[in-house]
Amino acid sequence: MASRRRMLLKVIILGDSGVGKTSLMNQYVNKKFSNQYKATIGADFLTKEVQFEDRLFTLQIWDTAGQERFQSLGVAFYRGADCCVLVYDVNVMKSFDDLNNWREEFLIQASPSDPENFPFVVLGNKIDVDGGNSRVVSEKKAKAWCASKGNIPYFETSAKEGFNVEAAFECIAKNALKNEPEEEIYLPDTIDVVGGGRQQRSSGCEC
Amino acid sequence: MHETDQHDLSDDADYAASQGLRSNLQKEAAKRSGPSETSGAEVVYQKDNVTIHPTQYASERISGRLRLIKQGSSLFMTWIPYKSSHTSNDVGQGSNARLFEKERNLYTIRAVPLTDVRSIRRHTPTLGWQYLIVVLSSGLAFPPLYFYNGGVKEFLATLKQHVFLGRSADDSNVFLVNDLQDPLQRSLSSLELPRVVSVANGTSSISASSVPSIEDSDKINGDNHVGSLRLSEYSGKQRQKSHDPRDLSIQVPSLPANAPDKGPGDTEKDLTEAPVASDPLEKTQCRKEKHGQEAATRVGTFELVDCKEFDRLSLVWGKPRQPPLGFEEWATFLDGEGRIMDSKALRKRIFYGGVEHSLRKEVWKVLLGFHAYDSTYAEREYLKSIKKAEYETIKSQWQSISPAQAKKFTKFRERKALIDKDVVRTDRSISFYDGDDNPNVTLLRDILLTYSFYNFDLGYCQGMSDLLSPILFVMECESESFWCFVALMERLGPNFNRDQNGMHSQLFALSKLVELLDIPLHNYLKQADCLNYFFCFRWILIQFKRELEYGMTMRLWEVLWTHYLSEHFHLYLSVAILKRHRKKIMGEQMDFDTLLKFINELSGHLDLDSALRDAEALCICAGENGAACIPPGTPPSLPVENGFLNSQQDDDD
Ligand SMILES: Nc1nc2c(ncn2[C@@H]2O[C@H](COP(=O)(O)OP(=O)(O)OP(=O)(O)O)[C@@H](O)[C@H]2O)c(=O)[nH]1
Ligand SMILES: [Mg+2]
Repeated sequence: MASRRRMLLKVIILGDSGVGKTSLMNQYVNKKFSNQYKATIGADFLTKEVQFEDRLFTLQIWDTAGQERFQSLGVAFYRGADCCVLVYDVNVMKSFDDLNNWREEFLIQASPSDPENFPFVVLGNKIDVDGGNSRVVSEKKAKAWCASKGNIPYFETSAKEGFNVEAAFECIAKNALKNEPEEEIYLPDTIDVVGGGRQQRSSGCEC
Repeated sequence: MHETDQHDLSDDADYAASQGLRSNLQKEAAKRSGPSETSGAEVVYQKDNVTIHPTQYASERISGRLRLIKQGSSLFMTWIPYKSSHTSNDVGQGSNARLFEKERNLYTIRAVPLTDVRSIRRHTPTLGWQYLIVVLSSGLAFPPLYFYNGGVKEFLATLKQHVFLGRSADDSNVFLVNDLQDPLQRSLSSLELPRVVSVANGTSSISASSVPSIEDSDKINGDNHVGSLRLSEYSGKQRQKSHDPRDLSIQVPSLPANAPDKGPGDTEKDLTEAPVASDPLEKTQCRKEKHGQEAATRVGTFELVDCKEFDRLSLVWGKPRQPPLGFEEWATFLDGEGRIMDSKALRKRIFYGGVEHSLRKEVWKVLLGFHAYDSTYAEREYLKSIKKAEYETIKSQWQSISPAQAKKFTKFRERKALIDKDVVRTDRSISFYDGDDNPNVTLLRDILLTYSFYNFDLGYCQGMSDLLSPILFVMECESESFWCFVALMERLGPNFNRDQNGMHSQLFALSKLVELLDIPLHNYLKQADCLNYFFCFRWILIQFKRELEYGMTMRLWEVLWTHYLSEHFHLYLSVAILKRHRKKIMGEQMDFDTLLKFINELSGHLDLDSALRDAEALCICAGENGAACIPPGTPPSLPVENGFLNSQQDDDD
């Protein structure tokens, strides 16, 4: 039972409606993009097996509705998350401005035991649109924000082209792993496996 | 947990007596190969004013006399509704009275052998009368029998003297009759939603034709000997059917609840396609078209009764779905000037069968309240033209916003962007909306944007495009679609309130209904910490739109819009679907995540017709207690004056 629990890593994807959360999740898990995804109502998740250092994990990726009105549902879904992915659309300023709200809302509703060090990852999606010409949030600006929030790892992605999606989720999985509860990380024979588990994430993700 | 607790009856004198009696009966039955020669039948129990409630309307209740009749070693149950005088209230409504008479016949229980009864469930509401639900081995169930003059205890005690009566360990109010099957099956069946297929119950049909005198006997008050009955023809025959391998070929089980476990979703389909009967007992249902064979197989020596006869006699507990309302029949509901003469009759008709697609354009406008039931053709034409102009006026409000103005109108830009994003994600696989630059997608956008100005406080919220899509598909007219959508949002608007109160009150009501109608499932969900019912969120927010294919969504919606049995029929439907999958949910000990995934993946795999029948049965069964589970003002109840519109805060989307 305990080992099964340790194998599951729960990841929550948050961000404004239409930034591409569902598309990112499907690109990562199913390696495909469709123009026909429907707006997410309620919540759903996909799972994917991932391997790190000879250990198999199940990544459980939760995709929730982006509209603020549905946030009161969040509490049921955020609970027990190991990592939170914040997504914005590089072509929509508001979706970037809202990242702060999403982050705070998550911390309130999920109330992780150590909010200061809870792992987030930020994705700037849809960089393919218009060859980058309609972009309104610069990489620099995004990175500055991430740095100000405790060096959150940052990735620029295109769910449509599949660009950087794999790399982003690898980082997400690693960060989720770091967040595994102490009592399970510090089992006698696993003490040093993750290098202490609470090291400061310096700049970005070294994956 | 599934074992029948037989010990809780062993200290019961009645029970002990019945044990001895039972083994005798079995021996006797085993010796018999043909119809019993025993003469005479003895009424061992009789109760007057045992009543069924076919609908929630008190005027439609049917009272009758319940009896247990012993014939040889066999016990039979009959319930015969009283005649004529009780329908006198309906004088003046010729067709209604006739309908009533017909239904009265439909509900009659004519000599059902107790060997065909699987379980009896006792309900003791805090208010109102005690009632019993009798479930047959075939999965059919009779409507709840309300004991207006008491007598439930006596009834059960009498039963105990004559048949084996066990008690379900899961629910002490469920009495298992002749319960000799495997313990898992029996406790499930006892709890299961009475599964009613359109099969006429062979038993009641046959007895009706072979023992016509039983109804007449009703007039012979106080005569406990009904010698003319030939009830004994049943002895030793019941239940053989399910063990007859020949049956398997004609049994098309429609009930996933009993199916061997499969992955979510594929259960119903697989079963329909491949009726592999792992447990013949659970496969005793068959499709309508198989009635004749079913009956022939079942009773062997009896004549084959034609399908029409079966239909007439079928149980109406969860009535068979009817064909959709067509033009000709629709015309009969209208007077010379186009007024709907009997709106209740119309709603009832649509509740049971829906509407033919080509007629929806007319009927939906009435069901949704865009047109009043008593409006004339002329009035409707007139309203249509006024409303078209009115729509254009509202639409021009946002159309007149120049790009320069839009720059300074963030809320407008954001709202428009959200709608733009959603309409291109709405039903694009339907040809009506597919392809690039589809004008219908633009219409969706325009109507939604106009609505967000018409009801600026509520604005636009995700899910609305799902609700509008079928309406535009049916109306094919921008302004009429808009007004029908407005009417629908009068009912469902609170689903999209910022504080989500509409959703929360429905989910709350759903949990209460499950508690009322399926305590074990409720208890399971409680201990699994699933009582928030968020896994049903999508069902309720957009009325199963994502769970059903397009045509079925339209069918369901028109049924819901009749508000015929309940304004909140969608909640009973939710209960019905959950109940259908309760075995899997509880058996696999699903936690919140697994349950959510399971429910999401039921999408596209729901059998709407049987779910509707289940829901109907549940709704009737729950009666006033069900209604009491639903807080006043719960959507889609029309809001009280000055209701939700004012409760909106400033837009934040
Ligand atoms: N060009 C481009 N389009 C994208 C990309 N990712 C998503 N989209 C499109 O953006 C729209 C929204 O994508 P979704 O994945 O449904 O967005 P979401 O964040 O899940 O939205 P909600 O479910 O409403 O919260 C869809 O029309 C997608 O096709 C991308 O990387 N590039
Ligand atoms: Mg989504």
